[in-house]
Amino acid sequence: MFDTQTMSRLLIAASKDQLEAVVRELYRHNVFDIEDFVESDAQGLEGCKIGMPLPGASESSAELVRIRSIENIYGVSPQGMGSSDTKVPTSQVQQRIERELQAIEEDAAKLSEEKLSLENTIRDYETRIAELKPFTVFPANLADLKGFENFVVFAGLVSAPVSLGVPNEMFSAAYDKSNLLIAVVSREDAEEGERELFGAGFQPIPIPDEAGTAGERTVWYTHEITRLEKELEAVSGRIIAQKEKNAAFLVACDELLTAEVERAEAPLRFATTEETFVAEGWVPTDSVAALTSDLQSATGGKVFISEVEYDPVEDAVPVEYHNPDFSKPTEMLMDIYSRPQYNEFDPTILVSIVFPIFFGFILGDVGYGIILLALGYYLRKYLKEGAGKQLLDVFRNASISSIIFGLLYSEFLGFALPWDPIGINRHLNIGSHASGHGPDAVLMLVLTAWIGILHITLGRALHMYNASRMMKPGKHRSKVIFGQFGWILAMWGILLILWSLFEMPLMPVLAGYPAVFMGFNGFGMAGAILLAVGVLGIGQDSVLELMELPTIVSHVLSYTRLAAVGLSSVAIAMVTNYIAIELIIDPQLANLSVVGVVLILVGIVVFLIGHTLNTALGILGGGLHSIRLHYVEFFTKFYKGGGRKYKPFGKLRKFTED
Amino acid sequence: MVVETMTIEVAEASAVGFKAIGAGLAVGLAGMGTGLAQLGIGGAAVGATAENKEMFGLALLFTVIPETVVIFGLVIALLLLF
Repeated sequence: MFDTQTMSRLLIAASKDQLEAVVRELYRHNVFDIEDFVESDAQGLEGCKIGMPLPGASESSAELVRIRSIENIYGVSPQGMGSSDTKVPTSQVQQRIERELQAIEEDAAKLSEEKLSLENTIRDYETRIAELKPFTVFPANLADLKGFENFVVFAGLVSAPVSLGVPNEMFSAAYDKSNLLIAVVSREDAEEGERELFGAGFQPIPIPDEAGTAGERTVWYTHEITRLEKELEAVSGRIIAQKEKNAAFLVACDELLTAEVERAEAPLRFATTEETFVAEGWVPTDSVAALTSDLQSATGGKVFISEVEYDPVEDAVPVEYHNPDFSKPTEMLMDIYSRPQYNEFDPTILVSIVFPIFFGFILGDVGYGIILLALGYYLRKYLKEGAGKQLLDVFRNASISSIIFGLLYSEFLGFALPWDPIGINRHLNIGSHASGHGPDAVLMLVLTAWIGILHITLGRALHMYNASRMMKPGKHRSKVIFGQFGWILAMWGILLILWSLFEMPLMPVLAGYPAVFMGFNGFGMAGAILLAVGVLGIGQDSVLELMELPTIVSHVLSYTRLAAVGLSSVAIAMVTNYIAIELIIDPQLANLSVVGVVLILVGIVVFLIGHTLNTALGILGGGLHSIRLHYVEFFTKFYKGGGRKYKPFGKLRKFTED
Repeated sequence: MVVETMTIEVAEASAVGFKAIGAGLAVGLAGMGTGLAQLGIGGAAVGATAENKEMFGLALLFTVIPETVVIFGLVIALLLLF
């Protein structure tokens, strides 16, 4: 809780003949984050070299390339497939690779070639049809235009009819806002004729190499394309059938070979000498015992493993979250900002609790909550793993909170539920609600300011806690701690002064006591002293920080967005209902006519568009503002982040097993 | 003429109207201010994210900082109206 996973730094050394066994075991456990070895003259590592890949690396890589190319042809991807229930034993995959891969590859290559050649032919025929098109107005055989020895044939488009000065025979017909012109001129007059033609704006087009009239040929090509398209469809069908047949095998091969390649390349990250190797890396402390004993048994005790001391602040320790299941999805929101540093206070649990509350406070509406819940449930089909699924889980929690707040606020898509709001009323005076007493805006603003005050105080206190834990005891640490305490004092000092001057709902009433000094009463004086001490505390940490003093007020007021954004969302919902139902649908229902039915449909469309828009705004408003309050107002008070992500060597196997 | 028609009721009604205008101005002008500020930040943030996906969180953070301004406008408007 509130801590990242404790890590141990392990040093594994053995003779080179144990290399493969050690690597295999490390890969299987999937817990060892390898620290890359860099050749240097550091003490104890002089003369060590980067290791060579294990034998078989290039064969596995070559096979993997083949598998990937087949996967590409069939459109299979291991990422896109969910984990299968029945895992294939690796020995069986190995056998099938030897026995069947050749045939599968040949099939795939043949299908892909067939598909490609069909597609090319279709494309070729389509170009020919396009080339024939201008000649469809020419009724004679196209072959007759070619093969003259003493004549030259010109074919092309002109905008207006042309007459040539040289002896000629000419065909001309209207074609697509222009004219097709075919002129036959004797060879000796060709140059002269060409000049005259170009002078008249003649655009030459090639005469297609076809036997028959253009019309006949076009019909023939169109028939051919239809036939080829049918063939193409059949080939695509066969490809899909092959894909279905082989997908499971292909992803299993992919997984097996990827594992082999990764294992074979692992020694590139180790330090080696002639006869031995040394691997250094990070392992979660609670996995050390299991890994050690398995390594010992895999190598028959011929391995030396020791835990190395490290400095949690100076060394770049990889960071892995250590949270209860409830908070795991929220780790995604933390990663977007930054992963905590090792040994730093991990606020994931706080975010996982407070974020849904903020979201519900803003978008407290049973209807929208149910819509979001359903939407999330539907999207779950497409986002099965990774950050997308985590985001959906976060939004599921947020939607549930939204429903709970909606019950309290008594809201369903902007309508009132059959009971009065509990605690806070957000119903605005719109339409038939105009008689109500309006929303408790001031109450909400003060309440949200309170949330801000407490949240920020918590943030500052966490900074003090972090400093006391992560920094070395000494003058610098005390300065930071007193500086943060100064911020808290200054904020509460300002609050005391405000309370002593004004009466506010939900706030202690300290006004009305006799003034002691310069119009301030006793509480005001106490507040002023707290503020002064706070400013001194901030200043002794860093004078520049004093520039940030106005943020005490602005950051607290920033939390009033919880009230303001929420009310604007309610306003949009209620206005939509007012326009769609009270202005358009109700008057028509009272006096039904044909036009009225159309208007009612328009009203329904307005209703749907309005609420769709408001749902989208609700996700943006509720989600973005809630997370922003965490990122900007809360995290800036204490959170450093910038931890290195823990990337263990190995892989969770989805399709194969030993 | 104007002085004669200015009864207490009229004065009260126009006070409500002026409040509404004030509320509108508060949200509208604050919104424009936020928009102007986000114009530059947003463009730079999208650019940075396109270069390096890991910048997304930080870019989002920078982009939403000016949002506070429009929220202040909205809060003032709410205080004026209710």
